[in-house]
Amino acid sequence: MEQQIGLNGYLAVGAVLFVCGVICMATKRNAVGVLMGVELVLNGANVNFLAFSRFGTLGLDGQAAALFVIVLAAAEAAVALAIVLSFYNNHQTIDVDRATQLKG
Amino acid sequence: MESFLFTVFAVTACGGAVAVVLSQHVVRMAFWLVISLGSTAGLFFLLNADFVGAAQLLIYVGGTVVLLIFGVMLTASGPYLKISGSPGELLQASVVGLAFLSILIFSVLRIDWDEHFAKLEQAAGPSFFERPTYRPASEGATVRGLGAALLGTRFDRDLGTGDDELSTGYLLPFEIISVHLLVVLVGAAYLARAKRKVTRSEE
Amino acid sequence: MSPEEYLTVGTSLKWLLGIAWLLPLIGFAIEIFGGYWGTRHSKTAAWMAVGCIGAGFLCSAAALVTWGDATDWGALAVAEADHGEDHGDEHGDHAHEAGDGHEHHDHAGGEGHAHDDDHHHDDAAAGHDHDAEHHEQHANDPFAYAFSGTYYRLATFGRLSIAIDYYIDGLTLVMFVMVTLIATCIHVFAVGYMSDELTDDYEDHFVHLPGGRHFHRPGRFYRFFAFLSLFSFSMLGLVLAGNIFQVFVFWELVGVCSYLLIGFYVERHSASTAANKAFIMNRVGDFGFLIGLMILWTWFGTFQFADVTPGSEGPPGLFQMVRDSQGQLALADEGDSVLLHDGHGRFMATDDGQPRSIPYFLLVAAGLGIFAGCIGKSAQFPLQTWLPDAMEGPTPVSALVHSATMVAAGVYLAGRFYPLFTPEVLLTIAYIGCITLFLGATIAVVVTDIKRVLAYSTISQLGYMMLALGVGGWLAGLFHLVTHAFFKSLMFLCSGSVIHGCHHEQEMTKMGGLRTKMPITAYTMLIGVIAICGLAIPGTTLAFSGFYSKDAIVASGLTFMALNAEHLLLFLVPLITAGITAFYMFRLWFMTFTGPPRDEHIYEHAHESPWIMTAPLLVLSVFAAGVAWGGGESGPLAGLILSSEPAHVGPGLPEAGQIGLNLPGHGDIHQYHHTAGTAALIAAFAGLIISFVFYCSRSVDPETVRRQFSGLHAFLVEKWQFDRLYDVAFVHPVHVVASWCQAFDRKVLDGILHGASHLTVAVARWDRLFDEAVVDRLVNIVGSVTFGVGSSLRHIQTGRLRQYVMFIALGVVSLFILVFAFFPR
Repeated sequence: MEQQIGLNGYLAVGAVLFVCGVICMATKRNAVGVLMGVELVLNGANVNFLAFSRFGTLGLDGQAAALFVIVLAAAEAAVALAIVLSFYNNHQTIDVDRATQLKG
Repeated sequence: MESFLFTVFAVTACGGAVAVVLSQHVVRMAFWLVISLGSTAGLFFLLNADFVGAAQLLIYVGGTVVLLIFGVMLTASGPYLKISGSPGELLQASVVGLAFLSILIFSVLRIDWDEHFAKLEQAAGPSFFERPTYRPASEGATVRGLGAALLGTRFDRDLGTGDDELSTGYLLPFEIISVHLLVVLVGAAYLARAKRKVTRSEE
Repeated sequence: MSPEEYLTVGTSLKWLLGIAWLLPLIGFAIEIFGGYWGTRHSKTAAWMAVGCIGAGFLCSAAALVTWGDATDWGALAVAEADHGEDHGDEHGDHAHEAGDGHEHHDHAGGEGHAHDDDHHHDDAAAGHDHDAEHHEQHANDPFAYAFSGTYYRLATFGRLSIAIDYYIDGLTLVMFVMVTLIATCIHVFAVGYMSDELTDDYEDHFVHLPGGRHFHRPGRFYRFFAFLSLFSFSMLGLVLAGNIFQVFVFWELVGVCSYLLIGFYVERHSASTAANKAFIMNRVGDFGFLIGLMILWTWFGTFQFADVTPGSEGPPGLFQMVRDSQGQLALADEGDSVLLHDGHGRFMATDDGQPRSIPYFLLVAAGLGIFAGCIGKSAQFPLQTWLPDAMEGPTPVSALVHSATMVAAGVYLAGRFYPLFTPEVLLTIAYIGCITLFLGATIAVVVTDIKRVLAYSTISQLGYMMLALGVGGWLAGLFHLVTHAFFKSLMFLCSGSVIHGCHHEQEMTKMGGLRTKMPITAYTMLIGVIAICGLAIPGTTLAFSGFYSKDAIVASGLTFMALNAEHLLLFLVPLITAGITAFYMFRLWFMTFTGPPRDEHIYEHAHESPWIMTAPLLVLSVFAAGVAWGGGESGPLAGLILSSEPAHVGPGLPEAGQIGLNLPGHGDIHQYHHTAGTAALIAAFAGLIISFVFYCSRSVDPETVRRQFSGLHAFLVEKWQFDRLYDVAFVHPVHVVASWCQAFDRKVLDGILHGASHLTVAVARWDRLFDEAVVDRLVNIVGSVTFGVGSSLRHIQTGRLRQYVMFIALGVVSLFILVFAFFPR
């Protein structure tokens, strides 16, 4: 039973991290804050992967996937920051509420 | 011991995440993010994923957050350090978040994992950690296995099982991601080049 | 004559006459397209035309000589030997003559019909007088001297074959020589007469424009000669034709040329109307011609006259099908149908072995149909009114077309087509000719336009020719055709010379005493007048050509009356009219050339015509006087014509046809010849004396006589009211019907069209409304709805990032709820 609880516990943690990340993305007006939310989301997913790798049948595949997620998250963070910098260069602000030029 | 460590790390991680959400100052947000990511790394070690945990610490804490800090430094000086939304939005967001969370927990708790894994084991065989042939030094020593998998060989599956087919490793994704990283970095460098005080016509 | 010789002679005749025929066509083509050769003062077109027709004359003369050599001048030699003899002989020794006859007509090919010429003498022996030496000639075998064949086969439609054929015998050659000679003389005359067209600005005094001015136009000299060449081609083609359809084609063509030539001064209303009248009246006659053609085609199946090539087994022609070698009709069914021969002595058979035949009445109808065409073309009663109006054309046209050649084509065809005429048809021809000759002569007495007198004279003389053909005087009719051609064209040219000399004055009431001013014209005219009157010095053979031909006609009439006592008019009327002819012809001569001048102005300016116009007069006067040299029927001309006489004419025929007519033969005519000749001469001299009294010595004043007979005179001057009658009977109703048609067209048909168009416009208008109100609105609604939806959906895209994320989260939550609530496991 401890395994079950262990798995459920890890899954719960992953869920919490994920939800926090989503709320962070949804509420922060600072663009960098939004990026932090993205990092949180990806972390939650990683926890999930590794929990199943340990308690489930994924095995090494789960860990390899988590590795990939980490790498991709780093790449994505770099690009996103570049975008934010570019946005800042053009508009002198990083308030996402100002980024409404794609408004329909 | 393990459950105690788990509790500590779990609380820290969740607490840090909540703190990220709740704080208004962007630098403080970054600090709490560091806390959260570090705790997550601890969780990873508990899950016998030593290499991944180490990679988490290295890359996330040591790289990504630093990157974020730099971004904050470059952009959010002065009036942008604290940008707060309206309380209504916060309420709305928390409602949605709680709903989401409850759904996730609910769905997780409802599944009978034993039965589920028994079925999967019948189909696919015992899990990595219960295979008789592969005995890593310790349960968390996954470096060799991961490395070999990334280069295309799967020790955990192919050795001693007498299969006719060899499983493919993660060689292709590995290569793709390498190139991907390169492209991303080039692109990011291009995107973020300095173009202040450059007129439209010269772009 | 052996077949090889026949073929050689035939080929050379074919080519000689073919060249004579086609040269004017080439001339026409060059003249009409060569135009006025750069300047309207050039006479090149005229000389070209003269050259073509002159060459044609030479070719025709050469052909005549070739033919004469080949056939030993046919009937000529023997007929001459015959003429002085008594005709009361029997002919019992035909049997031993038969042997000589066979040698003469030895055809190595063994054709049956050509050898039968002697046999028919045995058959016709009973009741007829024949001199022993007559047996070979006197036209008992026209096919021995004929050459027929095909130039070119144009098309074959099933059984119908359209080809350009030729049929050359003595008659053809005589016609060719006559036509080309007269045409040459007239072409030369016309070079002088039409010389005032050699200008860039011709003033036509007869066309009046508003404002009193006269009409000016460029001269049309070349065009006249182009049309004359075309006419020559057409006329020669008609004479040369070997099938009746080809005759019809050229018949129409001469009609067209006549139309073009009469309407030469086309801007004159009178001239263009006269051209229309001529063409349309000819067309009326041609309607009958077509009916005849249709009957012939249906029952005979061919249009060809005859197939006379020795050794050929070609299909028989019309002449060979109707009559056998003796020229007899083969009647069947008690005379209700005529059996058709196959040209080799047997009857033609249909597919089931029955002999082919044609109902008798249809043969009569065919003959009448063909003759109807002749009525139109030769201006017989009732279609004679176009000929006087045709004098609107220039005088050379009147001379060539309307006196010598085209109007003679009808007589020629009646003579050529003689074997197909049954006695009923012949009687009709005779009576129509009789009426015509009287009609023409009486009107000629009162008209004062010199050309009109000659026109009515032509009508009268054509009537004579038809009368002669109708009463069985085949030779007489065609003989008169030739002599008439010469003296009538001579007289027309003389009148042309007078008109030219008097500066286009045509009224005889303004002439007089021109003998001193224009002597050549006057005396050549006198020769012509004596010829037409048929005067001779009694007791001698000194006479001009007209005497012999008219003599022959009157003799035929007298014989016919003697054999068929009920038809006495057919003798009396020509006799009296001979006197009237003399009267009006001498009236013309006296009024024009003798006496005091009636108009001083004209007399002052009158002058003799240049030599180019008087030379043809002299040439023609020689022929007018002497073409019947040799004593009329025993002369060379008569002999030539006689060689083509159909076989049944010579012996005559008692109780012929369904009306039981007694047709006279040569022997019968000979009996009455002397009596008739004397009577005609007395009549002619009587006419001459009366005319002298009226117009030369002025003992009786014509004016007084006119006032006395004013009613009769008015009737005659109005041409027996024929013009008015036709106007009321035909022209006016046609106009009425035309106005009805116009009204119908305008009100009904146009109304329908206008209605249709209005309907279309109304439908279009409604359609537009529908389109705009319904369809367009629908489309616009669709567009605006889409736009509205789009613009309202636009607001979803706020561009606010956080909202997007919130929506994503909300979406996931709701999806979860949906799945778990409604699809539970």
